Amino acid sequence: MKRAEILLVSLLLAASTLGATAQAASAHRGDVWSNSDGFSSNCLGFTDTYPQQLYNLANAQLTRLGYAPLRGDLGPAFTTSAFLGNVAYPWAVYAHTHGDNYWAASGYPNVDSAILQDPGSGACNDSGRDKIRSSAIKSATHGGVFNLVIMSTCMLGANSSTMPDAFQIEKTKSSTQKEFYLGYVNSTYDSAAFRFEQAFWSYLNANILHVRSAYSAFTYAMSIGGYAYPDSADPFQANWWGNPNFNGVPGW
Amino acid sequence: MTGGAIKAVLAAAVVVFGLAATADRMVANSAGGSSTGTGTGGVDAAKAGPPVVTATVINADDSPDVFRRAASARDAFGFPVGANRTGKHVHDTNRPTDYDEVEEVDRTGQPLALTQFDPTGRLVAAVRFDRPSVTSPKIDKEAATTAATRGLSASGVAVAGQYQADADAVLGGWNVHWDRSQDGIKVRGDETRVHVWPDGRIQSVAHVEHPLAAGPADRLGIDDAKKVVNGQFDRWFAGRASSYAVQQMTLEWVGPNATFDAAKLSAAPAPYRLAWVANVKPSGVAADYVSLVTLYVDAGDGTILGGDVVE
Repeated sequence: MKRAEILLVSLLLAASTLGATAQAASAHRGDVWSNSDGFSSNCLGFTDTYPQQLYNLANAQLTRLGYAPLRGDLGPAFTTSAFLGNVAYPWAVYAHTHGDNYWAASGYPNVDSAILQDPGSGACNDSGRDKIRSSAIKSATHGGVFNLVIMSTCMLGANSSTMPDAFQIEKTKSSTQKEFYLGYVNSTYDSAAFRFEQAFWSYLNANILHVRSAYSAFTYAMSIGGYAYPDSADPFQANWWGNPNFNGVPGW
Repeated sequence: MTGGAIKAVLAAAVVVFGLAATADRMVANSAGGSSTGTGTGGVDAAKAGPPVVTATVINADDSPDVFRRAASARDAFGFPVGANRTGKHVHDTNRPTDYDEVEEVDRTGQPLALTQFDPTGRLVAAVRFDRPSVTSPKIDKEAATTAATRGLSASGVAVAGQYQADADAVLGGWNVHWDRSQDGIKVRGDETRVHVWPDGRIQSVAHVEHPLAAGPADRLGIDDAKKVVNGQFDRWFAGRASSYAVQQMTLEWVGPNATFDAAKLSAAPAPYRLAWVANVKPSGVAADYVSLVTLYVDAGDGTILGGDVVE
């Protein structure tokens, strides 16, 4: 017998039907945010194409995982007030922007991690003005449950990051809750984040029954190699916390 | 009301009022965003686009070579043997790539390990998904390198030249990697990489290798290449409250890309070209949110091939 020509068209059609049914039966919102104006020609002389590519990818893949409706935005609507005003509602949050582990208002050695909002059309980022602090996010979540949080930024996967706690995700790799946090440890090239996230999503969503775990997807994506990195002090390194058996599908 | 209660109420409301259709409209409407355009369709198109991964089931009868290679690699790396073995040919339009994959699965269908091969039968990835004991002994760098080299040799993956072994701060153990070079010049991102667990077992193997174009007949000198870089950044930063400093210029083989040009996003992957790679550090306003811009300058004709950004 030749290679089995069992293209999964029928399965994909079935998945579409099942997906539609699932979406009709529940609403598990996902928010996808991406800062594009800070990386546009207005600020840099060129437009970095990765913010939109990563935004598109996250939207498409969170949909396949069952999150709906999707909110958030690419560009000027990604403001601090919009992010904080909406963060109590989604089950998944994705953000691509500049991120870092800034000193807390109380000063060294306390950290209060932050991401930068989109600066708005015609403006450039000012870290003094544009930080969305993890402490503010935590307050705005009102203690809500989050299934999947992806900080597609530099540094927020480092051990010092306070961002997981903003979403009530403990920094353990043995949680039994349906929760998974993903971030990058060091300064990270856009190309590396894109390569990693493509592999992560491809592995996680390859099976329409969602039998694969987000941890396995992380492990796969880390294992494929080929990641560019800025220097030896900043090797490419992603990190995760949460439940190693959780498949990323929304819900309790 | 707590965040959990808010979500529960919203989820129930959608069920009760049957707002599935509305929810779908909300997806489309919420896509919004800027209209910078990626050349691959807008955000809505990406959401409604075709599957990014298409799989064709294969088995040991119709693809014996794939399964034989997979079993050989599994054993060479000491990966677990599953109760069952599943195979498929994967066409991933997202990355984009094609490969044959064999997965070792347990009795419940959970993956224990996988191996992937490119269309020529060359190993591209091998991964085990279990986790090592946290109480296992921790091997040193030399032992990790020995384990990696032994596994690669047993699997028939050839490596040569200098290697580097780095401690893995997140996963534990060591990353042992051989970076590819051609005629003594680094091929950016190409490598053979082995992650070795703290107990000395191999957790993953990756082999990344891109086709290379012919080198230029006449090579641009570093001074001329630096003029191209300075000219580009002078134009980019003109009239902006930012400046820059060229930190480093190295010759590398690089993949042309669309980092700075959305019109190139739909282009098929091209062979890697010899380029001057410039790491440029912004200063002033831009340093608040971009820590590095990397520019690829064709070492033959001085054109910009693409680059990368650390936001």
